[in-house]
Amino acid sequence: MKRVLETGNAAITEGAIAAGCRVFAGYPITPATEIAENMSRRLPQVGGYYLQAEDELAAMHIAVGSSLGGLKAMTATSGPGFILYADPYGWALGSEIPVVVVNAQRVGPVSGITGAPGQGEFYFSRYPTQGGNFETIVLAPASVQEALNLTVEAFYLAERFRMPVTLLADQLVTDGWESLSVPETPDDVAAMGLRVLPRRIHSGPEFYPASDEIDVPPVVLGHNTGAACSDWTPTEQGYDTEEVEAQHKHAYRLIYKVRNHRDLLRRYEAYYLDDNPEVVLVSYGSPARVAKSAVKRARERGLKVGGIRLIGLWPFPEELFTLPAKYLSVELNNDGQLVREVQRAVPKGSAVHFFGKCGELPTVAELQRMIDALLSGEPLPANRWEWEAW
Amino acid sequence: MDPLAEKYLRPRKIPSTACSGCGLGQIHKKIVMAIDELGLGIEDVVWGTGIGCAGRQTFGAWKGDNFAGTHGRVYAISTGLRVALPRDKKIVLTVGDGDAFGIGLLHVLHCARRNLDVTVIVCDNLGYQSTGGQYGWTTPEGYKTDSSPYGMNEPNWVQGGRDVLGILREAGATFLARHTSLEGREAVEDIKKAIQNRGFSLVHMPFPCITNFAGRALGTRKPVEVYRWFKEHTDGNVPGKPGDALFKCGVYFDASNSRVEYSELVRNNVAEVQRRYR
Repeated sequence: MKRVLETGNAAITEGAIAAGCRVFAGYPITPATEIAENMSRRLPQVGGYYLQAEDELAAMHIAVGSSLGGLKAMTATSGPGFILYADPYGWALGSEIPVVVVNAQRVGPVSGITGAPGQGEFYFSRYPTQGGNFETIVLAPASVQEALNLTVEAFYLAERFRMPVTLLADQLVTDGWESLSVPETPDDVAAMGLRVLPRRIHSGPEFYPASDEIDVPPVVLGHNTGAACSDWTPTEQGYDTEEVEAQHKHAYRLIYKVRNHRDLLRRYEAYYLDDNPEVVLVSYGSPARVAKSAVKRARERGLKVGGIRLIGLWPFPEELFTLPAKYLSVELNNDGQLVREVQRAVPKGSAVHFFGKCGELPTVAELQRMIDALLSGEPLPANRWEWEAW
Repeated sequence: MDPLAEKYLRPRKIPSTACSGCGLGQIHKKIVMAIDELGLGIEDVVWGTGIGCAGRQTFGAWKGDNFAGTHGRVYAISTGLRVALPRDKKIVLTVGDGDAFGIGLLHVLHCARRNLDVTVIVCDNLGYQSTGGQYGWTTPEGYKTDSSPYGMNEPNWVQGGRDVLGILREAGATFLARHTSLEGREAVEDIKKAIQNRGFSLVHMPFPCITNFAGRALGTRKPVEVYRWFKEHTDGNVPGKPGDALFKCGVYFDASNSRVEYSELVRNNVAEVQRRYR
C-alpha cells in the first residue's frame, strides 16, 4: 500500500484498476478529464485499454461493449456527457451488463460553469434513461479516499447485480487533493476492507431469469454459449419479444433484484442522532463535510443537532429517517432535489428545509445561522442569491 | 428446411416475421452462405444487429452468440467488443440504412477511421420501413413515401454525384462493396471478401420492401413488378460504363489487410508500453 497526495480523479483511476477494470472509454470533459488522462497512462501498465470515443454516446457504448466481451469497464464524464449516456445506460440496464459510470457533477444546466461543483443530477441519476421499469444504484463519495473505495465497491456491486452502477461525485471531490492510500496488491485491497469479484460468464440458456436473484453471472459473448442480449424486452433465453407477460417478468427482475437487496446497498454516515436532536442536517458529497463541521460546532455550543451523510443515494435509504425533527437538506444546487426525497421519507411531525448553494460550498457560518434560526423558530435566512437585486 | 439454415440458424427464428416478398431473407442467406463457404463455424462468429427490419429479423437467428444494440450504436458497441473478444472471432453486423447512414453514421465513420475489424452488412430497404415507410438517406430522389407525400425532395447519400461509400473510403474503410439482394454469386463472393478483411468492411445491400416502400413509392405491392424495378435500376460498377442507376454494384474499394486493424493496434500499443516500463 502506498500513501500519496492525490486528486479524486486519481483515486477513481486507482480504485478502478484495483477492482480489475481493464477498459476505459471516455470523452474529455471538465472536471472528469483527468480520469481519462490517468486511465490512458495507468491502464496500459496493467494490460488494459484506454479507448477515446467520438462522443459520450460512443464512450459508454464502447465501455458496455467491452463488458459484454468479458472485460470490466468504466466510463467517466460530467453532466453534459451524462445526459448522452441515457441511451447506453438503458441498454446496459435492460441487458443487465455490468459497467461503472462516473459523473463528476458541475454547475448546470447545460454547460453551465465547467470547473465548479454542483449537484444537479440527483434525480437524473435515479432515472438516467427512458422507459421506467428499473431501479438504479448510485454511490456518492465525499472525499478522495472514499472516491477510491466506492469505485472498487461500484465494480463489486455492478458484477453482483449485473447492472451499471453510478458513482455520483462532484467537482470538489474529483479535482480536490487529499492524502490517499492506494492498494498495490490484492492483499492491500482486502486489508482495506474492499471487495473484488472476478467476472463470471453465464453459460445459458436462461440468460434472463424471471426472479429477483442477484449473483447471476452476466451475459458474455465470444464463448459460444448461444447468448442473446438485445435492447428489446427479452424472454428468459434472451429472444426479443412483444409479449406483455415477458415484459412483466423483465420489469420485475430489474426492479426487485435491487429493491429486495436494499440491505446490501444501504451506505450512510449518521452522527449525533442518539439524543433525539431537534435539527438534523442531511447532505451528500462535498457539502456533507461542511455540514458535519457545522453540526460539530453546534454541539460545542451545546445545541442538539445531528447529521446524516448519504453515501448510497439510490435506492434512497428512506428507512434512515425515523426521527421526527427539523431536517435541513444542504445541497450544491438552488432548486432543491435531495430535499424532496427527504420530505417523502421523514415521519409525521417533521419539517424539511433547504439550504442550497451552487458553484461553491456553503460555509460553516451560513449553516450555523440556519441551525440557529431553525432552533429558535425565527425566519430562515434567505439564500444569498435571493438577497441580491436582480 | 434449408440445410444451411439448419446448420447455422435457430429453428425458432425460421421462418422470420418478414412481410411477403421482402428481400431481407435473400441477404441473410447470402451472409450465411459466405460464412459457410469460408469454413467458419457457429463458434467463430458473433452476430450483432441494430433495430428496425434488419435488426428485428436477424437478431437471435444465429446459432452462436448474438447481440442487438441501440439504434445506430452497434458500431461503438463493437469497438469495445472487438477489443475484448479473442482475435479470431468474427463480428458480423446486420443493420439498416437508417442505422448505418443516418443515426449511426458518425460511429460508422469513426470505425472506418479506426479500421475496426467488423463486417457491416447494410440491409437497405430505401427508407424507414418498419415505422411504416418514411424517407431515409438512400430513398431515391423524387419518390413518394409517407413522410414525403410530394416526393423525396432532399439530397440523399447515393445520387447527385454523392456516394456514401466514397465517404467511407475517405474515412479509412478497407473493404467496400454494393450488391442488391437480387444478385447471387457475386454478392456472396464479396461478402466473403468483406469477412476475410481484418479491418473495416461494409457491404451496402439494397433490397426490395414490398409492403411499405413499393406500396407507396412504386404504386404496387406485386413482388414481380418491384423486383423488375430493382433490376432496371441496377448497374454494374464498371469504370467507363456510365449510368444514372440507383444501385451501382460491385466492389467499390478493396484494400483488404493493407493497414493495421484497430484492436491489434491497441493491443500492440499496450504490449509496447509494458515492454518499456517493466
